[in-house]
This record gives sequence, C-alpha cells and structure tokens, in this order.
Amino acid sequence: MALSLSPALLVGVSLAVGAALSGAVAQTPATPIPPPQATAPGPEAPDPSLSPECRVPGSKLYTLAKLRAVKKALMEHRAVDVLAVGSSSGGLGAAGSYPVRLEDALEKSMPDIAVEVQSRGVSGEIVYGAAERLRNVVAETEPDLVVWQVGTNDALARVDIEEFSRSLADTVSWIKSHGIDVVLIDPQYTASLAGDDYFDQFVEAIRKVAASQQVPLVQRYEAMRYLAARAKGQASGGGFRLADLGFRCMAEHVTRAITVSLLEPDATATPAAGQSAARKPD
Amino acid sequence: MMREPNAIDFWRGFALITIFVNHIPGNVFQDYTYSQYGISDAAELFVFLAGWSIGIAIHGRGGQTEPAARTVLRLLSRMVEVYRAQLVITAVALAMLAGAALALDNPLLVEWHNAGPVFTDPIQATVGWVTLLHQLGFFNILPLYVVLLGLAPAFVLMARIHRGLTLAMSLSLYAVCLVDEINLPSWPSEGHWFFNPFCWQLLLVLGFLAHEWQRETPAFLVWRRRLMPLGIVLVALGAVLAVLHLRPDPLLVPEPRLLFTFDKSYLTPARLLHFLGILLAFQSVFGLIQPRAPWLVRQLAALGRNSLAVFSVGSVASLAVQLVRFSTGGGFLVDVFAVGCGLCLLAFTAWFVEWRSRSPRPSSSA
Repeated sequence: MALSLSPALLVGVSLAVGAALSGAVAQTPATPIPPPQATAPGPEAPDPSLSPECRVPGSKLYTLAKLRAVKKALMEHRAVDVLAVGSSSGGLGAAGSYPVRLEDALEKSMPDIAVEVQSRGVSGEIVYGAAERLRNVVAETEPDLVVWQVGTNDALARVDIEEFSRSLADTVSWIKSHGIDVVLIDPQYTASLAGDDYFDQFVEAIRKVAASQQVPLVQRYEAMRYLAARAKGQASGGGFRLADLGFRCMAEHVTRAITVSLLEPDATATPAAGQSAARKPD
Repeated sequence: MMREPNAIDFWRGFALITIFVNHIPGNVFQDYTYSQYGISDAAELFVFLAGWSIGIAIHGRGGQTEPAARTVLRLLSRMVEVYRAQLVITAVALAMLAGAALALDNPLLVEWHNAGPVFTDPIQATVGWVTLLHQLGFFNILPLYVVLLGLAPAFVLMARIHRGLTLAMSLSLYAVCLVDEINLPSWPSEGHWFFNPFCWQLLLVLGFLAHEWQRETPAFLVWRRRLMPLGIVLVALGAVLAVLHLRPDPLLVPEPRLLFTFDKSYLTPARLLHFLGILLAFQSVFGLIQPRAPWLVRQLAALGRNSLAVFSVGSVASLAVQLVRFSTGGGFLVDVFAVGCGLCLLAFTAWFVEWRSRSPRPSSSA
C-alpha cells in the first residue's frame, strides 16, 4: 500500500493531525503537540530532509501505516519506548551504533519528546524459534513501538517463503494485538543478490505482510538499490561500501518512515473533513 | 583404553547429532529431530548428561570418591579446555562468515548469526566475544558450559556433605533467577545470555545428583520405573503442544511471567518438566537398541566419548553447511550431501581424537 502523498496534501495533513492531537489533549491545556517535522517531500523526488548521502525519494523508502501506540504516547506527553530488534542491532556503547543513531534521529525529529531506544539482537530464523524469542523480548521490555529488521537470517537460511510470511504475519499481528506498534525493515540490497529470484520474492513477501498487517515498512532494499544506482559512475568499492552506507543511513530512514507515518490520518481521532482526500486511491 | 559403549555416551552422541542437525535451519532432516516434537530439546539433554559425567569422573575405578582438591582442579581444567574450544570455534566462524562474504561479494553474510557488531563495532565486540559476553547465534552452549563448570565445584563439594541440601540450593538459585529475571548480560549488544547459567545449573546439578543416587540409592531406581508412565504422558502432551504450536502468550500470563512461559533462555518450568518426562519415558530405550543395532550404538557412543571435540567440529560444520545451502540455493540433494558429509566428519573427529590419544605425538617432542 504505497501511498502517494502530494506535498501540499502532506502539509495539510500535518497541520490537521497537529490540530487533532492538540484537540485530543484539550483537557491538558498545556502546549499543543508539536507535529513531527515532516514537510512535503514529493514522493518521487529525493527527500531533502534526509542527509545528502542518504537521500532517497519517499516512494522508494517507505510504505506508510498508522502508529496508534506512538501517537497515544505523544498525546500523553510521555516518553516513547522503542524496541529495536534485528541482526545488526549493535550495542548502545558505541556512539555510532544503530540504536544510538535511531534514538538521536527520533529525538531530533520530534523535539520535546523523549525517546528511549532499547535494542536486542534476536538471532536465528523467525520460522525456527526466533519469533518465539521475539515475543519473550517484547514481553520483557513492553515497548510502544517495535522497529524490526526482519528477514536477513531467514533469507540466508533459504527458508520456505510461505512459511516465513505466515510466521511474520502471526508475529506482527500478535504484537499489534497487544496495542504495540510495529515498523518493519526489510533486508539490505546487495548487487550479488540482484538476480536472485528467491531473494526478490522474499523482499516482496515482507512488503505484502506489511501491507496486509497495515504496518509501516522501511524499504531498505529499494532505498539501497536507489543509492547504488545513483552511485554508479562514481568510484565504487563493491557491495561493502554500499552496505556501510546503508547501515549509516538506516536510523535516518527509519526515523523518516516513523515521522511520516505519524501523519497518517487517524479515522477515530480526526473526523475532520477533508482528511479522506489525503489518501489517494492507489 | 576406550570405554565400552554405554547409555550415557550413546545419548550424548545422540544429542550431538541432534544439535548438529538443528543448527542447520531449514534442512530436510530438521523435521525428523525430536526437538520438533516437544517443548524442550537436545540442549537440555546435553547439559544433564554433562552433570551425569561429572559424577562418573569424580569416582575412581574402585568406586571410591577422589580427594576434593583433585575434583576442583579437574573441573577447572575442564573449564579451561571448554573456554579454549569456544574461542577457537568463534574465531573460525567469524572468519568463515567474513570469508564467505568476500568470496560471494555479499555483505549480508557478516550480519548473520549476530556477527554484525564484530565487524561494525570491532573495538567493543572483540572484548565482548573473547569474554563470552558477545555470542554468535548457535555458538552459545559452550559459554554456558564454561560458567557451569565454574559453578560445579561448589555443588559437587556440597553434595559430599548433603545431597538434599545441594538440590535445595540449586533449586533456590534457579527459582530466584526465574522470578527476578536475573541473567548474565550480553555486551556490547544489549540483552542477555541465550542460556542463563543461573537457571541451567539446575540441570547440571540434577544430572550429577541422579548419577549419585543411581549408584547408592535403590529406591531411586524403583521410583524411576514407577514414574515411567508419567514421563510418557508428559512427552505425549509436549508433542501435542509442539505440533499444534500451542504455547502461553507471554504478555497475558500472570507475573512472574517466566514461571508460565516456554522460554529457553531461562529453562522455564514447562521445559524442565517436559525434559524430565523425556528422561523417564526413554530410560530403558538404550537397553532395547543396544542388542539390535550394535554398529549404531558404537558410532554414537564414540561421538559421546569425545563430546567436546565433536561438538566443536559440529558447530563449525553446521555453519559450513549453512553457507553451502545459501550459496547453492539448497534443496534436497544439497541437504543430503552436505549434512551427510557433516555426519561423516563428526564420526571421523571422534575416531581421530581417539587415534591421537593412542599414538605417540611427534609434535610433543618438537
């Protein structure tokens, strides 16, 4: 469900959501919620809010869906607890590690909001037990949002794609059933797998699950393919340089998908007229 | 000389093969391992038998108990051996992942099995993996074993004074860590150890005490037999739960939640109970197999006699098979060939270790 949002509409939505949010917290007449700083990227033009080396058009970077639990935390003016899960979730010790970057990027894009990122490197295949371990980790940390880098281990183990989809859908719907938001991140792109049918179908399967479960998806695969194509002609250091770039950009890309997803119209909280116009039929 | 095949070595060999196959996710043989049909798996069996073997080791030929100092030194020296093995196989695994990533020009491979931080955050992760605080996926049993061997002298010596007290201490440690969710941390990645040594020590102690009781308490054997039907019921129940994917929802169970969930890290009560059920249900199976399949018994017992070497080679071999499956695309024939080669390698390892201990080693005089 890739949504195409025109710049003008996005600004409109942004204002409307901001208004709706402040309306919803009218009982606390304090500061209105600052709308996340999401302004107006054309879906096909490189998103200027990203740093230059990571600049990818929105349409290549994410598909959107509502993030109700995060929105609720924002309305209640409390810290947003994020659980980052995935194979390259490094430690909080290193300043350059992904969880630290994610926390920084989220706090920068949502000023006045405290964000706590915890990370867990759940290794193994979700089809063979990692999904169970993820449930235990979610129960242990009880976050508002799970940012889940999914699929690398399963794809490398070449598990059956249907089984993988089923397991992923089960787990995502379980997390959502407990009022916790999910953002999925698909595996990274690398040129040596570009012609691998299995891998293509695998990435597609994640996209389908994200759409059917209505959770935002960070299309790391598409984004990195775009960056790779753009880098052609410049000196290239093979797949490893691209992987390094993708790794450095991931926190920004995830943050962008989250902030833009927060602008998704919320049918129950924003009955304001004109909202439905924001969503073009695809 | 090599000891004759016995039930302990046989089941240890069986556990080693099961672990080898289960560490190659997605291969065609995986569905035929018993781990798929219960809520506990071969890890429990491996740790329990390690405890049992400690019991065997500390008694001399005549059955007399060796001096306490000797037992402590024996356990510490084993701990050093296991730690050394863990360092070697982790280093080899990291090099295999990095080498395969270079050869296939595929950076995904260095993210596999939790290896990512070693390459993206090398300064901290190097300290992490050498101190066992950073563990690669599937390379997490030996770190558990290192800590268990460190704890073992306390329990083994306490058991000389009072066995019941030893069990009570072990159970208390288990219960406290389960209720308060106490575990060793992982580092630099956030999180904790895949196998919580403070909970899993209970299985080692149970294995050790079971050996001692078996030697000296006739009532133990009587009750073991009497409880066999209960074991069969537990195994059947476990099979139903596993096949139907029924398990408690960790966000819905009451606190303390680890008393109710099926969590491997903390060896939660359901897993422990299921494993005890397996022990009871299968206690006389070795006696049935031995006369009917002597070759199989000899092979598995040879693996079990040399468990550390076989486990280490098996860990590296299972990673190799995963890399082969990935690069070839997998499939039935690849699985049969690669897993088959792996099993032959395990058998060769056991033979080779015993050959080395029989033969004069030229390297030792160099």
